[in-house]
Amino acid sequence: MKSMTLSLTINGALRHCEVASSTVLADVLRDTFGLQGCKVACDQGVCGACTVLVDGEPVAACATFAFVVDGRSIMTVEGLAQNGVLHAVQTSFLENSAFQCGFCTSGMILSIVALLRAHPEPDEETIRDWLGGNVCRCTGYGPIVEAVRRVIPAHALEHA
Amino acid sequence: MHGVQETSRNDELPTEGNAKVTGAAVYTWDTALPRMLHGKLLRSPLPHARIRSIDTTEALAILGVVCIVTGDDVAPLAEQFYGVGLRDQPVIALDRVRFVGDPVAAIVAVDEATAFRAAQAIKVDYEPLPPLMTVEDALADDAPALFDGPTPGIPIPVGKGWSSVADPVRNVLCEYNFGYGDATAILDASDQVFTDTFAVTRINHFHLEPHVNIAHWNDGRLEMWSCNQDPFVIRGDIARIFGLPLHRVRIHTPLVGGGFGGKSYCKMEPLVALMARKAGAPVRLALSMDESILTLVKHPGRLTLTTGVDREGRLTARRADIVLDGGAYSDASALVAVKTGFRVGGGYHWQAIASRARIVRTTTVPSGSFRGFGGTQASFASERQIDLIARRLGEDPLTFRMRNLLDVDQPFAPNERGMDSDLSAGLQDVAERIGYSSKRQQGRGIGFAVGLKDAGGTGNHAQALVRVTQDGEVMVSAAVVDVGQGAASALCRIATDVLGLPLANATYAPIDTDHSPPDNGTHVSCGTLVTGRAIEQAAAEVRKQIETFAAERLDCDVSEIVLEGWTVRRGNVVHPLTPMVRKYYGGIGWEFIGRGAFKEPYDPDTPMGARNISWMPCWSVAEVSVDDETGRVTLHRLIVSADPGRALSREACHGQIEGAAMQALGQAMFEELRYRGAEPENATPLTYRVPKVRDLPAHFESVVAEHGMGFGPGGVKGIGEAGMLGIAAAIANAIQDATGASLTTMPFTPEKVLDALDQLRHVGDVPVVERS
Repeated sequence: MKSMTLSLTINGALRHCEVASSTVLADVLRDTFGLQGCKVACDQGVCGACTVLVDGEPVAACATFAFVVDGRSIMTVEGLAQNGVLHAVQTSFLENSAFQCGFCTSGMILSIVALLRAHPEPDEETIRDWLGGNVCRCTGYGPIVEAVRRVIPAHALEHA
Repeated sequence: MHGVQETSRNDELPTEGNAKVTGAAVYTWDTALPRMLHGKLLRSPLPHARIRSIDTTEALAILGVVCIVTGDDVAPLAEQFYGVGLRDQPVIALDRVRFVGDPVAAIVAVDEATAFRAAQAIKVDYEPLPPLMTVEDALADDAPALFDGPTPGIPIPVGKGWSSVADPVRNVLCEYNFGYGDATAILDASDQVFTDTFAVTRINHFHLEPHVNIAHWNDGRLEMWSCNQDPFVIRGDIARIFGLPLHRVRIHTPLVGGGFGGKSYCKMEPLVALMARKAGAPVRLALSMDESILTLVKHPGRLTLTTGVDREGRLTARRADIVLDGGAYSDASALVAVKTGFRVGGGYHWQAIASRARIVRTTTVPSGSFRGFGGTQASFASERQIDLIARRLGEDPLTFRMRNLLDVDQPFAPNERGMDSDLSAGLQDVAERIGYSSKRQQGRGIGFAVGLKDAGGTGNHAQALVRVTQDGEVMVSAAVVDVGQGAASALCRIATDVLGLPLANATYAPIDTDHSPPDNGTHVSCGTLVTGRAIEQAAAEVRKQIETFAAERLDCDVSEIVLEGWTVRRGNVVHPLTPMVRKYYGGIGWEFIGRGAFKEPYDPDTPMGARNISWMPCWSVAEVSVDDETGRVTLHRLIVSADPGRALSREACHGQIEGAAMQALGQAMFEELRYRGAEPENATPLTYRVPKVRDLPAHFESVVAEHGMGFGPGGVKGIGEAGMLGIAAAIANAIQDATGASLTTMPFTPEKVLDALDQLRHVGDVPVVERS
């Protein structure tokens, strides 16, 4: 199988790796760079657990070939906290008990980070639209939506 | 005895939460060993066939393939089968396959892709046999027997009022009869008797972390990392199958990415152990989600209830005929049958009950435990029929329920523990919350349900260790697996409350069968009840040790010592404990170690052979409207209430209630694993529909109703399964309230709703109750 060298900016740092043409982004993140916060659940791009941000946009890492993101900037859940301070969405997840088993949490948080970048003060409809691709089998979604609502004012201030 | 203190309303943040929001949490999925090889399974494409031969020559020739395990490797083992009570599921197919997805060969290779390619190269010669896709197929006169001999193992032992038998007729795994009183005579004497049949559907757990196990043999000893929520159950199964002493099997249980019953009891763990032994290296077998869907489902079934009512509108007796589709192998079917039969009376007072529950074998995915364990099936049928009866009698369904519900302390069945929740108060509360007595909005219907199941298990036991360092740090060891329910926090809280130390001081020890004290497994909402009692006892013992130590050091009577945080007070003088311990034990210090144990004693006069530890009600009310042109149901409001006795964490209780209710909502409205002929029609994550954020009702409210009567520490009791119970019935009851249409089969798809509306127009069976 043909291999190729990629240059990726992962959580702000420039990284290089050698991958096969068939390698998916999730495997590069998990196996090459040890970023196991990227969880692979359905492995078919439908559950959202493996969501990461590529140039700020949410993508399913299990269904994205690694070569496609060559030269681009990738944000995983490990890159959210800055200098040991949790991102506002992470804090809101903790404060609102927006997770149980935690397997969907990384993807859910990154989808919300992307949502708040696009819509700093999203209404209910927008929240439901943006989280439509993330399955949580534990919480029933109520606390997750609540976590988004509660982070909004703080986040809006951050962007002011 | 030091009781547990009043819960603070401002819950402290969960101790285990941080890692889950930063990506640092390690699940079995993330665990890796040096030199680890990878497995893949070849699964049967046929629902029922005899295996003539398996040719692995070509597959073994593929570069990177290490070995292939088939039925031939299983035959020499000490035992070949697993299952709960009745054991009929082979470690891997021996000579026959019994459902599409039955594992036939297990490939071990350097990586998953190679193992996957090797699976395609294996040639299996099948002799197709007739599929038995439904209960009717399996019970037909000319149906072939799915198994040749009697089922190994024993049916679930039960207590007074029961009979239990395995293999009563061809393709029936087991039959249980439960009852008390003379149901026939009482039904004959009843003023009115109603018979209705209800159907529940097959759903999958859809836990996001698929089943995953890593096995490694070293010097004749097996070490395993497993997502299974029952470490001591699988230790026992593996030891029995491999003919090993228990202490030659060591199970580690890292964080579990969701279970809901799908990861309880033995599944492919013995197979992974066999793969690793044959390979001579550590092996990881991670299923895809497609494969997890084909591993276990919730029992579909048909429940026929015959219920009598007297002239005053009081329920008299109920007869139930329950037929559950157990799928190809027993798994936990026997237990589910017992529990469905036991629970079918619901939370009402009866003079007599006569229930018969059977498990029929079919060539479909095995059915087993799923959050509620027969309780959801029973409460759907029961609470639908209660509503139907009330409406037929021209009675308000709420009033009818109120008249018949069990009172506090009233036993559910003879010799059972009394009701430890106020069923009427719980129902009244949700009725008020939805504004039942106010005027109904045009086109809207409201439906109630009172789900009920026993919780905490039957005769369950647990042990626990609580260790306290010289600095007052607490380590709690038990075998309750944290599947996301917050067990670690809850159990730590029980210990720290007894010790009077902050929750932040406590750590829940990782589970490892070499070190963790054993229990029955993480089931039936028993963590806070059963293990909680053991931890409370262990913590009280530690507290006594600390007080005794301080009394010796201060040369006084222990009664003079008061433990206050990590100091002791004697009279008006406060002594810090850390220097006291260091001075006596030296630099390394010391740990005070307390042990606790709990076992609900055997009692042959009770229905289950031991009294149930608590009762788990779920009061739910739904408000819907129905588009009578499309049949689409809109769920406007759903209010779900459950009683944790006393909440150790209100947030965690809300989470349990809402998560369970959303799963039940999925099953009620759309979720179903379907077969088209012999083929699973939607056994992929892409085609299997689970609830998403869009499915949240416009108003979704959970209520933590602390009735304070639980049997656990400080009055707590389990709550994890409650939210599943009765939700589907409440929604169907609301549909009937809105339209008059009677739905008796889940899920309530537009097609079924339109059919029910059509039937209403033709038959006019059940009148809509007018309420002033």
